Amino acid sequence: MKRRNFLQQAVSSLVLPVLIDGYGAKAFARPSSFVQSLLSLAEQSDRVLVIIQLQGGNDGLNTVIPLDQLSTYSSAGFRGNIAIPGAKALKLKYYPETGLHPAMTGMQQLFNESRLSIVQGVSYPSPNFSHFRASDIWMTGVDADKTATSGWTGRYLDNRFPGFPEKYPSDKMPDPPAIQIGYVTATTLLGSTNSMAIVLQNPDSFARLVGDTPKDPLSALPGYAGQQIDYIRQQQASSVSYAGQIKTAAGKGKNLAVYPEKNALGDQLKIIARLISGGLQTKVYYVTLGGFDNHANQVVSSDTTTGTHANLLKTLSDAILAFQNDLTQLKVDERVVGMTFSEFGRRAKSNGSFGTDHGTSAPMFVFGSAVKTPMVGKNPNLSDLDANNLKMQTDFRQVYAAILTDWFGTDAGTETATLFRDFPVVPVFRQTVTATAPVLSEARVYPNPASTEVILESDWLEQGVKTVQMTDLQGRLFSLRSSRPTPTSIHMVVSHLPTGNYLLRVETVRGIVTRQVLVTH
Amino acid sequence: MPDRSVVPFIFFAVSLLDPYASPLTADQVAHLLRRATFGPTASQVKSLTGKTAAQLVTMLLADQPQPAPPLDLTTGKTFHDQPFDTVNAGKFTVYLKNWWANLMLNQPLSLLEKTTLFWSNHFVTRDSTVNDYRFMYRYTALLRQYGLGNFKAFAVAVTQDPAMLRFLNGNQNVAGTANENYARELQELFVTGRNGGYLEDDVRAAAKVLTGWADSGYRDATKAEISTVFRANRHDTTDKTFSAAYQNTVIKGRSGASAGADELNELLDMLLRHAETPRFICRKLYRWFVNADIPAKVETGFIQPLAEVFRKSNFELKPVLAALFQSQHFFDEALRGAVIKSPVDLVVGTFRFWGVQAPDQNLTAYFQIGNYLYARVKEQQQDLLNPPTVFGWTAYYQTGYYQQWINSTTLGLRGLFGDALTTNALKLNSKPVIDVLAYVKTLSDPSDPAKLVNDLTGQLLALALTQPQKDFLIDTILLNSIPRYEWTGEWNDYIKSPNDTAKRQAVQIKLTAFLQYVFRMAEYQVF
Repeated sequence: MKRRNFLQQAVSSLVLPVLIDGYGAKAFARPSSFVQSLLSLAEQSDRVLVIIQLQGGNDGLNTVIPLDQLSTYSSAGFRGNIAIPGAKALKLKYYPETGLHPAMTGMQQLFNESRLSIVQGVSYPSPNFSHFRASDIWMTGVDADKTATSGWTGRYLDNRFPGFPEKYPSDKMPDPPAIQIGYVTATTLLGSTNSMAIVLQNPDSFARLVGDTPKDPLSALPGYAGQQIDYIRQQQASSVSYAGQIKTAAGKGKNLAVYPEKNALGDQLKIIARLISGGLQTKVYYVTLGGFDNHANQVVSSDTTTGTHANLLKTLSDAILAFQNDLTQLKVDERVVGMTFSEFGRRAKSNGSFGTDHGTSAPMFVFGSAVKTPMVGKNPNLSDLDANNLKMQTDFRQVYAAILTDWFGTDAGTETATLFRDFPVVPVFRQTVTATAPVLSEARVYPNPASTEVILESDWLEQGVKTVQMTDLQGRLFSLRSSRPTPTSIHMVVSHLPTGNYLLRVETVRGIVTRQVLVTH
Repeated sequence: MPDRSVVPFIFFAVSLLDPYASPLTADQVAHLLRRATFGPTASQVKSLTGKTAAQLVTMLLADQPQPAPPLDLTTGKTFHDQPFDTVNAGKFTVYLKNWWANLMLNQPLSLLEKTTLFWSNHFVTRDSTVNDYRFMYRYTALLRQYGLGNFKAFAVAVTQDPAMLRFLNGNQNVAGTANENYARELQELFVTGRNGGYLEDDVRAAAKVLTGWADSGYRDATKAEISTVFRANRHDTTDKTFSAAYQNTVIKGRSGASAGADELNELLDMLLRHAETPRFICRKLYRWFVNADIPAKVETGFIQPLAEVFRKSNFELKPVLAALFQSQHFFDEALRGAVIKSPVDLVVGTFRFWGVQAPDQNLTAYFQIGNYLYARVKEQQQDLLNPPTVFGWTAYYQTGYYQQWINSTTLGLRGLFGDALTTNALKLNSKPVIDVLAYVKTLSDPSDPAKLVNDLTGQLLALALTQPQKDFLIDTILLNSIPRYEWTGEWNDYIKSPNDTAKRQAVQIKLTAFLQYVFRMAEYQVF
C-alpha cells in the first residue's frame, strides 16, 4: 500500500525537524534566551514573499528563448510548429543569447532594470510527470521518492511563529502569517498541523463575510468527526480574529500604479500591494494563475507569438510589472520579493497539435528590488536531452534556500529543517562576484589553481565542520569527495570538475568559510 | 442475513463488508440517505425507519428513467439537439448546470445523481475547456447512463466521448505525432491509478493505441449532429508493447475501420487485469461516500474485499455500491460526521431538508431555483461540470481532503447562505425557502424548548450535541436568557391565535435566529 496516508506515517520522521549541530526547529520549540533573541530579531524583519503558482506546467522554452540555439529550436523535428521567431523574441540587456516571449514586455523591462532574475533549468532529480504528484513535490519541497504532509513555506512559518494558530494573534504578530488570495488553500502553506494562511477573496468584505466566532461550548468529540469539527472551529476563530486587522490594513492601504484591466493575476497582486502598504505584517502571500497545461494549440499556427500561452504570459508579465511599479511608488519595494513556480516544464519537442506534453526543467522567475543576479545558469542545451526532456541545472530547493537564507535571513539549521536537507543557495540575492566575501585571512586554499585536488586549511575547522559545498558561479552544485587529513584541514578531490571558477563554501561551527577556487586541467 | 453455513466463515469473520442486517434506526436511515443521496427530509427518514439496509439499497439502486433534457427559459424548447448557438452559448451552459442542480434537488430516493456527480469528478472534463454546451450535455447523459452500469463499458464510452476527446486532446492524437494527454490520465486518474507502477513508456504505448479518434460537430452552427469518428488512416498500426506492470502485454497493431475500437477494447482489458485497478476505483468510491482516511485495517478488511466483489462481478458497479452501503463498516458510528459536506451536499441538502422542489411545470420558477442553487455551489468552489483540474475537486485527493472545502472565505460564504435562508427570509418561486413554523409543528412537543431543540438539532445535524451545547442553544440562542417557561407561553399563545401577526412573529423571529445560528455551527458542516 503506497497511498499517501500510509506514507504519512512512514515519513513522519521527515516532517520532524532535522537538527544539524545548529539551532533547528526543535530549539525554537524550547526557547532559550539566545533563541528568543534570535526570534525577536526575525520578527523585526519586515520582509515579504509573494509566491505565484503557474498551474498546469509552463512551457519554459517558449517563455525564455535560447537564441543561441535557434536553428535547433526552430527545426521541424524539434518545435518548429510552435517556435517563437528569433527576431520577435524580446532582447535582454547583457544577455544576447537569451530572449523572452514577445508578450513579456513588462518582465523584459524589469530584467533590464535589474529587478528580475531568471533561474534557468530548474527541476529536481527523477522528475515526475503527473500534475498531481509534481505539484506536491514543489509545494512540499521533498525528493521525488519522498512525501510530506506540510508545505515548505508552511514549515518555515510554523517555525517562525511557534504555537500557531492557538497562540495567535499575539502582540508581536497581530496579523496572519500568510494570506492566500483565492478560495482553496495551497499545500505550500500547510504547517505541521494547520494551514498557516488566511484565504480571502476581498479584503473589504472579509470581516462581514466571516461573521462572529460561535460562542457555544466545545463538544470535544473524539475521532474523525472531532478532527473535522476542530478544524472548522479553528478556521472560524482565525478568520474572525484576523478580520479586523485585514479590514484596517485594507482601509489604510492604497494602490498608486495602474494595473492592467481584465487581468486575474493583476487583480490579486493589487490586493496584496494594498495590504502591504496598509501595514499588514503578513510574511507570505500566495496567488495562482491557471491554464498552462497546453497539450494542444498553445500557439495560433499562423502566428506562433499569439495564442493561449502568449495570453497567459502577457497576463503574468503585465501583472508583475504593475505590481512592482506599485510597490516602488508605495516605497515598500525594498521589502518585497516575488517568485513564480510551475509543477514542471514541457517536453522540449512539441507535439503535432501545436502544443507540448509534460516535461521536466523550466525557468523560475524571482523579482523585486533586492534581486542581484539577473541570470542564474545558462540556456538549456537543446542537443543534450534526456528522452526528449531538458536536463536540470538547478534544484528548485536551491531557490527556496536562497529565499529562506538570503531573503528571510533564516539560519542554516532552520533552512535545513525546512527543506529536509541543506541545499546550496542560488545567488539570486547575492552579487555573484562578491559572493566570495567575507574574507578570512586565516583560511588558506592550495593549490589554487587546482587540477586534481585542493586543500582548505583553517583553525575554524577544528571545532567541527557542518557542510562542504562546491558550486560554480551560477550556483550549480557539484558533488565532491572530501576527507579530513588533519583537524584543521579538508582535502577535496576536484579532478572530475570541468575547468572553471568555483566557490568553495564550508560551514563550520564558528562560521562560514568561502573561497574561490580555479580548476584547470 | 446471509446463510453463514454455506459461505466461507473466514470471509465474514474478518471482513468489514459483512452486511448490516438489523432494521435501521432513524439516525441510521438519515446517515445512509445523507451519504448516498443529497439528503433526506425529516418525514422521509420517519417513513423508512425500521427498514433494513438491503431494502433501502435496493430502492436506491433501482433503475431511473433518463430525465427530460434542459429547456431554453426564453423559448421553452430544447437546445442540446440544435446547431451550436454562439450568441446564446453562455446562457445555455448556465441552463444546463441549473438543470443538473435541479435534478439533484428533485431526485426521489436514488443513488443516481450522486454517482453522476462522483463520475464527473472521476472522468473529469471541464466546460470551460470544452466550450460547447451540447458536448457537455451529451457527457452528462453518458455519466448518467453508465454511472451505475459496467465500468469497462463506461471507460470505453468515455474514451470515445466527444467532450473527453476535446478535453484531453484525444482528437489530436494521431499516428506519428502522438498526443499523450489522454493516455496518461486514463492510467493515472481514470483506471489504473498512480500506484500502478506503470512507466512513461506505457503512457506512450497507450497513446499509440488511442490514435485516430476525433469528435465531429464541434461548435457547428449549421448542423445539430455530434458524433465520434475513427480515422483509420490516422491510427498507428504498429504493435504496442507494454511493460511488466502490464505483464509485457503486446496489443497487436491493426488497420481498418474497427482497428481503434478493437485495440481500445484490448487496452481496457489490459488495464482492468491490473490488480490495482479495482482497488483504485473502490478507494475512490470510499473517499466519496464513506471517509477520506483509509487505515490499514480498512484497506485489507474493506477495500480489498470490495475490490474482489468488483472484479468478480466483471466490473459491474451496482454490486460494489450495494455491498458498500449495506456493510457493517458503513454503519460504524465512528464514521458519523467524518465527512465535511461539499458545497452541493450543503446547499442542495439544505433545500431538500426543507422540502423545496423545482417545479417542472413553471419554467421561470424552475430556473430561478436552479440558478440560485448553482450560484451558491459555484461561489463555494464546486462549479458543476467544471472541477478546477483533471484531478477533480481537491477535497477528494489533496492532503487534508474534505478540509479543502473549508477556509476563511468559503466558510463565510456557507454562513451567508444560511443567513439568506433565515434572517433574510429568501423567497424562491414566491415562497419562503424555509417555513420554520410549519416545520416546528411537526416536532414532538414544540411548546417545550428543550424538546424542540433536541428534536430540531437531532434532525438537522448528523452528530449528537452534548447537554451543555443543547443548554446553550436553548437558553442563549433560542431564548436570549429569558426563562424557558416563557417560551411555552409564547408558543401556546401563537397556537391559539395563529393569525395574530404579533404572536406569530414572537416565536418566528426566535426560531429564525436559532436556525441561523445552527446553520453556522461547525456541526452543520459535517455528516
